[in-house]
Amino acid sequence: MIESISSLVPADIAAHAPALLVVAPMLLAPIAAFMPNGRLAWILSILATGVSLVMAMVLLTQVRSVDGGGVLSYAMGGWAPDAGIEFRIDSLNSMVLLLVSTIGFLAAVFSWPSVVAEVRDAKRAMFYAAYLVCFTGLCGVASTGDAFNLFVFLEISSIATYVLVALGATRDRRALPAAANYLLMGTIGASFFVVGVGFLYAATGTLNMAELAIRLQDMQGNKAVLAGYAFIFVGLGIKAAMFPLHQWLPNAYAYSPSFVTMFLAATATKVAIYALVRFLFTVFGLEFAFEGSTLIWILMPMGIAAMIACSFQAVFQTDVRRTLAYSSVAQVGYMLLGISIGTTLGVSAGMFHLVNHALIKGTLFMALAGMVLSYQGTTLNDLKGLGRSAPWTMTAFAIGAVSLIGVPLTAGFQSKFALVNALFEHGWWWAVAVVMFSSLLAVVYMGRILEAVFFRAPSNPNKRRKEAPLLILIPLWILAIANIWVGVQGGFVAGLAEDAAGSLFIGDVS
Amino acid sequence: MKGDHHVILRVVAKVLIPIIALYGFYVHFHGEYSPGGGFQAGVILAVTVVLYSLIFGIAPAMRAITPGFARFIAGLGFIIYVGVGVWALAMGGNFLDYDALFREPPGGHNGQHVGIIVIEIGVLFAVAGSMVSIFYAFAGRVSEIRDEDW
Amino acid sequence: MSGEMAIAAALILPLLICAGIWLAGRVPDLREGVTLLGAAALFVVAIIIAGHVSAGSPAELSLGEAVPGLEFAFKAEPLGALFALVASGLWIVNSFYSIGYMRGNRERNQTRFYMCFAIALFGAMGVAMSANLFTLFVFYEILTLSTYPLVAHKGDANAQRGARIYLMTLLGTSIGFLLVAIIWTGALAGSLDFVPGGLLQQAEGLTPLVASALLLLFAFGVGKAALMPFHFWLPNAMVAPTPVSALLHAVAVVKAGVFTILKVAIYIFGEEILNATASREFILAVACFTIIVASLIAITKDNLKARLAYSTVAQLAYVTCGAMLADPAGFMGGSLQIAAHAVGKITLFMCAGAIYVATGLTNISDMKGLGKRMPLVFIAFFLASLSIIGIPPLAGDWPKYELMQGAADADLDYVPIVLIVSSLLNIAYLLPIPILALMPPPGTPEPAPYKRPGGAPVLTVAAPCFTALLCVLMFFTVGPISEFLEPATGERIPAAYMTEGNP
Repeated sequence: MIESISSLVPADIAAHAPALLVVAPMLLAPIAAFMPNGRLAWILSILATGVSLVMAMVLLTQVRSVDGGGVLSYAMGGWAPDAGIEFRIDSLNSMVLLLVSTIGFLAAVFSWPSVVAEVRDAKRAMFYAAYLVCFTGLCGVASTGDAFNLFVFLEISSIATYVLVALGATRDRRALPAAANYLLMGTIGASFFVVGVGFLYAATGTLNMAELAIRLQDMQGNKAVLAGYAFIFVGLGIKAAMFPLHQWLPNAYAYSPSFVTMFLAATATKVAIYALVRFLFTVFGLEFAFEGSTLIWILMPMGIAAMIACSFQAVFQTDVRRTLAYSSVAQVGYMLLGISIGTTLGVSAGMFHLVNHALIKGTLFMALAGMVLSYQGTTLNDLKGLGRSAPWTMTAFAIGAVSLIGVPLTAGFQSKFALVNALFEHGWWWAVAVVMFSSLLAVVYMGRILEAVFFRAPSNPNKRRKEAPLLILIPLWILAIANIWVGVQGGFVAGLAEDAAGSLFIGDVS
Repeated sequence: MKGDHHVILRVVAKVLIPIIALYGFYVHFHGEYSPGGGFQAGVILAVTVVLYSLIFGIAPAMRAITPGFARFIAGLGFIIYVGVGVWALAMGGNFLDYDALFREPPGGHNGQHVGIIVIEIGVLFAVAGSMVSIFYAFAGRVSEIRDEDW
Repeated sequence: MSGEMAIAAALILPLLICAGIWLAGRVPDLREGVTLLGAAALFVVAIIIAGHVSAGSPAELSLGEAVPGLEFAFKAEPLGALFALVASGLWIVNSFYSIGYMRGNRERNQTRFYMCFAIALFGAMGVAMSANLFTLFVFYEILTLSTYPLVAHKGDANAQRGARIYLMTLLGTSIGFLLVAIIWTGALAGSLDFVPGGLLQQAEGLTPLVASALLLLFAFGVGKAALMPFHFWLPNAMVAPTPVSALLHAVAVVKAGVFTILKVAIYIFGEEILNATASREFILAVACFTIIVASLIAITKDNLKARLAYSTVAQLAYVTCGAMLADPAGFMGGSLQIAAHAVGKITLFMCAGAIYVATGLTNISDMKGLGKRMPLVFIAFFLASLSIIGIPPLAGDWPKYELMQGAADADLDYVPIVLIVSSLLNIAYLLPIPILALMPPPGTPEPAPYKRPGGAPVLTVAAPCFTALLCVLMFFTVGPISEFLEPATGERIPAAYMTEGNP
C-alpha cells in the first residue's frame, strides 16, 4: 500500500520529499495561527500532517528500493554537506519518520472533538499552530544529519510542547506547574545537548554527523570528545525520559490536554530515543560507545531500573493517565535495554518495541481522550463500568491494554518476544527474568484498569451510554487494529526495525 | 507639567526611539556584509517598543503596536522565511537554494542577494514580533490575585 | 474434506458459532440451537481430523508468519486429535447440560456466557492442533482470557476475587515461565516446531543444566496443569457456574495444560533427552506429592465442588506423572488419562450442578438420603467415581494400568505405591457421597425439599447419565484408542510376563 501511494507522487516532488516532509507543517503552522477560527486551523493541520505522511511513505519507498537500505542525502540550500546542512535519510530515519507522521496524522484527525472540549475558542487556532510546530520539530529531528540542526529542531519541538502542555490549564490548573517543570528539565536537557555538540565541534571542527563519525574514529580517548559524549548522553536522556531523568514526564502527560498527551506519548520520547541511538551508534560508533566507555553499565541498569521501579509506581496510581505515564517510562526501559545489548538483534528489538509502543500508547491515550470527552475524570473510579456505557471505545482501550501487557496476537507480544530472544542470544538470562517480572507488573496495573472498566458497576449510576464521537473512534480503531495487525502479521514492522538496526551496524563487525 | 518627574526621560526617549529604530535597520541591511542581520535587528527594533512602554506605560504601547499586530508580524516573518524556501523548491532547486530563485545561469548572483535579504526580512519580522509578544505577555499580565487580597 | 480444510474448519467453526450466538442473542432458543448445531459440526470435523491422522496422512495448515520465525502453523497428530475429539465431543453434551442449568438457575448474561464458551473452544482447538510452541502459546492465552469472563460470570465480589486469582496465576505463570521457556527453546534449537523424537535433539550446546532449567520452566509455566504450588487457581475458579467448571475445568482448560506438558515431553524433549534430564525426577516427585496432598485436602472439603476441584488437581498430576516417566507406557497412560478423566470428571461436575439447581445444596453433609429423590444423578455419580478410582470395567482403569506399567519399566518403585494410595484416597473422598445419598444410614433426617419446583431439569440429569455410560464404553474401546495414540507415544516395551519364555 505504501508503495502504491508513493508511486502516485510525481518524481519532481518525490525528489524533494526530505525537505517537504518538514516544510509542509512548517509553512502551514503560521498560516494556521492566522486562521479566524479553530476549525480551519484543524483542517490545515490535517493537511500538513497528511502531506508529511505521504512524504514519509515516499522516503520509505526510496530507501527500501535500494538493497540493504539506501541513504538519501538532501542538501539544504544547495550547499553540499559538511558545509551546509544535510537531511540524511536511511532505514532508521525513514522508520521513525513514518511512525511520527502516521501518529501525527491520526492525532490531527481525531483531535477536533477533544480540543473543542478542552481548549478555549480563542486559543484553538494558536493551539493547532503550536501542534504543527511541535510536529515540525519532531520530523526535523528525525530527518536532519547535522548535529546542531538537530538541537534546533529538538528545541522547536520542545518549546511548542511546553505551550501545548500548559494549555491543559483550562481543564486542570496543575498543568501549569507541570509545564514549568517540563520547561526546566527540557531546557536543561537541551543545554546539555548543545554543550556536548559544542565539545564535539571544538574537537573535530564539523557538525555533520556522518563527517563527525569519520573524524571521531581517530580520536579515541580525547578528553573533549569524552566530555561531549557525556553531555549529549545526559541531555538526550532527559528528553527520552530515561530513568531517573524522567520526573517531568508523569505530570506533563497527566495534565496536558488529552490530545497532546496522546501525541506526545506516542512520538516525543520516541524521537529522543532515535536521537540517542543515532549518536551512540552512528556518530560515536559501536566501539566507542560500548567498549571505549562504560555506557553499557549505565544504559542497561537504567533501563532495568525503569522497568521495575516505574512499573511499581504505575501500580499505585489512581489516575489512569498517570498509570500510563509511568508505564511509558517503564517501556522506555525496554527500549534502552534492547539498545544496550548492542547487537543487531537487540537494537532491532528495541526499535521494534519503539514502534509498537507508539501504537500501544497511542491507542490507550486516544481511547482515554474519547472517554474524558464523554464522562470527564480519569481516575480509576471514573472508569468504573464504562465497558457497558462505551463499548466500542473501551474495547479499543482493552486491545491497547493487552498489547501493553504483551498478550499473544498483539504488537506488544511481538516486540517483547524479540527482546527476550535477543537477550537469550546475548546470554543475559537474568535480564529475561526482569523483563518477565515487569510484564507481570503490567498485568497488575492494566488488569486493575480493565477490571474496573468491564466488571465493576458504574460508581455513578446515571451514566448514560455515550460513545466517543466517530471522529475519535475511527482513528482509534485504526490504531487498535494496527496493534493486532502487527501481532498477527508483524513482518512489515519487524522488517523495518531490522533494516533500521542493520543500517546502524554498517561497517561495524557485529 | 508640574509634578511630572519623568519629563527628561520622556523627552530623551522621544528623541532616542527613532534613532534606535534607524540603527536597527542599519544592523539589518548591513548584515549582508558585516556582523549583524535580521536576528539582531529584530531585537533592536523590539527594544524600541519595550523602551516606549517602560516610559509611557504599557497601555499606550499596546495601542500603538497592538498585541495582535505583533503576533501577526511574527507569523508573517516565519511565512516569509519558509516562503522563500518553498519558492526555491517551486523553481526546481533544493529548499532555500537561492541560486534557483531566478533560474539564473551559473555566475549570476541576483538570487543570492535577493534571497538572503528577503530571508533576513523574514527573520527580522519574526524576531521583532516574537520579542514584543513575549514582552506584552509578561508586562500585560493581570495579576490573578488582587493586591488587596494578599 | 481434505485435512487442511478440516483443520481450518475446526478453527473457524467456533468463531462462526460465537458470531451466530451474538446475532441470535435476542432469541434464546435460536441461540442455543446455534450452539448445539455448531458443537455437533465441530465434533464431526474433529472426527474427520482423527480419521486423517489414523490413516497416517496428518493434515497440516499454515496461516503465515507473524514475524519471521514465528509461524501460525497447525498439524494434526494423534494426541492433539484425541484432545480435540474429547473437547468437542463433550462440548455437545455440556451444551445440552448448560441449557438446562442456565435456564433452571435463571442466570444473567447468557449470551456472553455462550459466546465466551465458543471462544474457549476455539482456544482449545488451536492448542490441540498447534504445530509449534508459538501457536500453542497463542491459543493457550486465548483460552485463558476467554474463560476469565466465564469464571467471573456471577459478578459478585467472591466471583471477582476468584476470577482475578485465576487470571493472575495463569497469565503470571505463562508469561513468567512458559514464554521464557519457549523463547529459550527457540534460541537453543533455532525453531519452535514439534518434532517427533524431540526438537531439542537439534539444539547445539544443550547442557544438562540448561535442559533441567528448561524442563522446570515448562512444567511450572503451564499453570493450567495445576502442578503444586500453582494449583490454587483451580479451587478458586470453582466460583464459576457449574457448566463452566464441568467443561473448562475438567476438560478444556486443565486438559490443555497437561496436554501441553505431554506435547513438550514428547515432541520438544523426546524420550531420550528427557531421560537424561535431572529435573525430570524432581518434577515426577512433585507430581506424586501433588497427587497425594491434593487427595488429602479433598477429603477435608465439605463443599462438593471444592472437593471435586482438589480431586482434579490430583488427577491432573497423573498426566504430568506419565509425561515425566518418559517411556512409551507413561506417555500412553498420560494420554489415556486425558480422555478418561475428562469423561469421568465432567460427569461428577454435572451431577453436582444438577443437585445445586434442584435443591440449592452445595455441601456434601447435606446430601445424605438425597439419592431417593434423584436416583439417576447419584447412580451416574457413582459410576463416574468408580471410573476415577480406576475400577474395571470403567475407563479410568486403563490410564492407571499404563502408568504403573510405565513406572515399572522405568524402575521407579515409589510411583506405583503413590498411585495405589491415591486410589484408596479416591475411594475415601468420592464413594461416600453417592453411597450415603443412595443408602442413608437409618435415622437420617429427610433431605431438604426441592428449591426449584419439579427438581432438576431433564437436560441436567440426562447429560451426566450419558457421560457415565461413556465411562463404561471407553473401557471397552481402549484398544483402538491406544492403537490410535501409539504413533505419538511410541511402541511400548512388551512386559516381561507377556514375553515369558522367549526373552
